[in-house]
Amino acid sequence: MTAVIEARGLSKSYGSARALDNVSFTVGSGRIVGLIGPNGAGKTTALKAILGLTPFTGELSVLGLDPRSQRDELMREVCFMADVAVLPRWLRVSQALDYCSGVHPRFERSIAQDFLAKTDIGMHSRVRQLSKGMVTQLHLALIMAIDARLLVLDEPTLGLDLLYRRKFYDTLVNDYFDKQRTILLTTHQVEEVENLFTDVIFVNHGHVALASPVEELGARYQQLTLSAEAAPRARALQPFYERELFGRVAMFFEGRSAAELGSYGELRTPSIADLFVAKMQRTASP
Amino acid sequence: MNSTYAQAAASPLPAVNARPRGTTLLTLVRREFWEHRALWIAPLIAALLLVVCATIGTFHMDLDDSRHLTEPQDRVALFTVMQWVVAGVLYVVAVVVLSFYLLDCLYAERKDRSILFWKSMPVSDGMTVWSKCLVAFVVVPLGVYLLAIVAGFLFSGILAARLALAGAAPILGWDTLEWLRSELAMLLIVILGILWYAPIGACLLLLSAWARRIPFLWAMLPPVVAPLLELIAFGTHHIWNFELQRTAGIWWTLGIAHTHIFSHHGVRPLGTLLAEADFGAAFSDSGLWLGVVFTAAAVFAATRIRRYRDDT
Repeated sequence: MTAVIEARGLSKSYGSARALDNVSFTVGSGRIVGLIGPNGAGKTTALKAILGLTPFTGELSVLGLDPRSQRDELMREVCFMADVAVLPRWLRVSQALDYCSGVHPRFERSIAQDFLAKTDIGMHSRVRQLSKGMVTQLHLALIMAIDARLLVLDEPTLGLDLLYRRKFYDTLVNDYFDKQRTILLTTHQVEEVENLFTDVIFVNHGHVALASPVEELGARYQQLTLSAEAAPRARALQPFYERELFGRVAMFFEGRSAAELGSYGELRTPSIADLFVAKMQRTASP
Repeated sequence: MNSTYAQAAASPLPAVNARPRGTTLLTLVRREFWEHRALWIAPLIAALLLVVCATIGTFHMDLDDSRHLTEPQDRVALFTVMQWVVAGVLYVVAVVVLSFYLLDCLYAERKDRSILFWKSMPVSDGMTVWSKCLVAFVVVPLGVYLLAIVAGFLFSGILAARLALAGAAPILGWDTLEWLRSELAMLLIVILGILWYAPIGACLLLLSAWARRIPFLWAMLPPVVAPLLELIAFGTHHIWNFELQRTAGIWWTLGIAHTHIFSHHGVRPLGTLLAEADFGAAFSDSGLWLGVVFTAAAVFAATRIRRYRDDT
């Protein structure tokens, strides 16, 4: 696995608040990585550090470049989309295309035009005349037309309705992503996109709570669903989180084998959303 | 770390160089005119209004005062004066529009967070700020200079035609050399003005990059309040004098306060300024070049602020 992003001991404070506290992680090439965490966990700060938008301490290499000192070179290879609607309201669609063609060496105008032709967005509309969903489509069209090695998305579908969200991620996976590209994505709506990820990084209070390829989660985490009567015995195996649902108990274990747990109830690999909640609850109340 | 980069570099995506600087800069300059449409619309409208005035306005001229206009050289001189009046109106408009532009250009993108989009493009902060300086200090002033020539011709041409149609005696005369001398004098004054007012423009740009909110207030209040405070506290006028010097000083250096274009001897063509005004003294004024050095420093500071500020 080739590393696209290598972070070692990344720290960043805003006043006395530590947004990132000695964080280390690696993002491999050709992966779709979900950076997941509650509000204020440090996700956006991590992305800003990667994009050279904010000063930080620690070691960080993105595509072999230092975002602090080599930001200009880096932005030729990296594309990013901060949460919805950062396209200026006065910009016309045709101007957005002119602008990108004028400044971006990897922008292929025809791709963006073909993409836009399939939407309701008119070439002469201004961003202020477009709906939120259409603005995101426009931004996506620009991104699709840029042949970047790393795409960073920060809550790209926040505030969009389900249809737009679905279309957005479908386009991303089917038409954009390939094994040469890497996508780093933060989102709140974990359930909707969890099938997308090849890797997840959970962050909380400026720390990495979990970083793992999705295919390895099954070997590491187990979710056991059992009756309330059977629960006390299973508790001896030290689940790190449990919750009750319709009189049944769901317990989450780390590093237990199927042989150990299988006799207590129904065993499965937790979904990323459930695992996220379990991990966050544990850190919240140790 | 080096080995991982070597592998990444070996992936099939070919290395691409930046767009040629000229293309990027041209795009950035166009971008400024898309966003700040007043930059070109306001001078155009002013020029249009002047032409409309010449077409349908009524003018009163006391013939006693214009008795000298019987001389051809007076009519040529009046023509050059007319060009300067038209240009003067357009420059006032340009200065107002540019002041607001400089105050807004690095603030608006932070306010609407579009800076996150601009920064997602491979354009350095230096290039971005440079493009804004280019617009404010070169493109608009010289554009308005050219516009003034066109508007001046239209204005005086229409006026002359109306007088001729009404059967009145001509008041305007044409002399190519005089016209060129007058335009050259104006161009020198425009360039002098750009250099002299650049530090004020750079201050506005810096405020635009720095202010958390209402850069307009930061631009207006301190220059007004500081001299007042000084006057109240110490009874002196040092700040006020400094401000006066930095606004009007270069025109004193030019030494044309006693050059009278209109007098009982007649009207003098404005090309005479080439000989009368001390351009040598003005262009070698140390205050002028100190201001240019200050401008460079302030523009650099604005660039650094845009690069490292994180308030989105």
